[in-house]
Amino acid sequence: MMGVSMVQSSDTRSRRGGAGIKVGLIAGIRSACGHHLHTIQDSFNRLAKEPLQTIMTTSVIAIALSLPATLFVTVDNARQLGSSFESFSQITAYLASDTSSKQVATIKQQLEAIPEVKSVVYISPDQALEEFVHSSGFGSALGSLEANPLPPVFIITPKAESPMPDQASQLVNKIKLITQVEDAQLDMLWLQRLQSLTQIGQKIVLALGAVLGMGVLVIIGNSIRLAIHSRRQEITVVKLVGGTDAYVRRPFLYSGLLMGLMGAMGASLILVLGFWWLGASITHLSELYGSQYRLNGPGLQGCMLLVATGGVLGLCGSWLAVGRHLKGIKPK
Amino acid sequence: MIYFDNLSKRYPGGDEALSNINLQINAGELAFLTGHSGAGKSTLLKLLMLLERPSAGTLLINGKNINRLANSKIPSYRRQLGVVFQDHQLLMDRSVFDNVALPLQVAGQPRKEIGRRVRAALDGVGLLSKERHSPMMLSGGEQQRVGIARAVVHKPRILLADEPTGNLDPALSAEIMALFRRFQDVGVTVLIATHDIDLINRMKNRIIRLHQGMVVDDGGIDGSIF
Repeated sequence: MMGVSMVQSSDTRSRRGGAGIKVGLIAGIRSACGHHLHTIQDSFNRLAKEPLQTIMTTSVIAIALSLPATLFVTVDNARQLGSSFESFSQITAYLASDTSSKQVATIKQQLEAIPEVKSVVYISPDQALEEFVHSSGFGSALGSLEANPLPPVFIITPKAESPMPDQASQLVNKIKLITQVEDAQLDMLWLQRLQSLTQIGQKIVLALGAVLGMGVLVIIGNSIRLAIHSRRQEITVVKLVGGTDAYVRRPFLYSGLLMGLMGAMGASLILVLGFWWLGASITHLSELYGSQYRLNGPGLQGCMLLVATGGVLGLCGSWLAVGRHLKGIKPK
Repeated sequence: MIYFDNLSKRYPGGDEALSNINLQINAGELAFLTGHSGAGKSTLLKLLMLLERPSAGTLLINGKNINRLANSKIPSYRRQLGVVFQDHQLLMDRSVFDNVALPLQVAGQPRKEIGRRVRAALDGVGLLSKERHSPMMLSGGEQQRVGIARAVVHKPRILLADEPTGNLDPALSAEIMALFRRFQDVGVTVLIATHDIDLINRMKNRIIRLHQGMVVDDGGIDGSIF
């Protein structure tokens, strides 16, 4: 009896509203939002239902993401260490130890005449020795030396704040040509080495990131493939009762997104803990060097970037799997 | 309502599953589709569900030619149909309620409306008290009634059934048929594929007999089998 009245109401409804089931715009938007929330919750519940599988997948993603992220933060630290010294690019010219004070004055004039040179400071062997005794802590040992082994030195500051490597080496060559100058060295050399090292580091980060990112895509794609396989019948039935492809796709995309996000959160945790653990030792070390340098962890922004990357990778991985495997499932 | 105009279906293998079918099923009619297995019953239903496309001829539903319906429009077309399967195709990992709710969920109905309609449909098949059960805990007849509730919950104008009583004893089969008749009484067009001759002879409805992909008898109610 109830069945009859039910379908009767359907007929009057369809005559009033046209086709079978139609939903108003606002009700539709509200129900779509509700549906998305419900789908996310459902995807989450499914992950929670198989904790072992989920934990394993998530940790693999976390490890895969934490490797390039650690390297990235390390390289970033090295670059910061370098950039704090960038303005100190100076050239040291070593004179022959038998240079007379008259010659020193001429050489100073010659140096100041070079257009690229901003300023020139002379350090006599005595000054240098005194400074060295103070700063090195070998005072008493050095006092026993019969003669001062240090040569007279000019510290030359170029006009350009951080000259290009070839500009700087041209300048060094010019200075070397002056008589009595035995050698000239760019203090920046170690800095350039550090810079090119960090450049190599950045390239390694990029390559490693790309490879491991692909790995994450494959891991997520594979779990989604398994999920699709185990829900085959459900997909078939949903298609039979008029579910759109988007409707079928949605829970799998959300699963991939969640997996990527959770893996990236795990990676962030690994990073934060690791750098916190290492940071104390680095601080201690740099204090011993009298430096203000502090190791920088990934920071909130870095972690957020990492989580976003994980989410994007998760979504892409599941999108690839869904595109490949859902087409094969058709109701018969 | 449903109009087959010189419709043929040939599968890629070369077999002609249906040839030159001309049929008209009016709105509110209840018709049986019968014949041996392999006679083309399932193919005919598949064409109606757009699981297959015809090789030649025209299929009109509600005056609309669905031959050339774009793939993207198939979901919304299927929402106008209710389908009952022999193996009922229930999802065992969710409750009776959630199974019946599926057609409304995929159509994006609000949750409140879903609850109301699902309970009405379950009440209609006499299973309201079992909405929280898993389909696994139900008997074969009850499972089929859940399948029927799912097929009608979104109030389709056309109800298709493929061997709905295939696995049931005569008493349960009669019960299921009575349900179908109740839907016909309120204006739903019902097409039932079955080879349960005894049952359909008792029903005194239109019988379409298929043999080797052709309609060999339309309208008779005697029990002769080819």
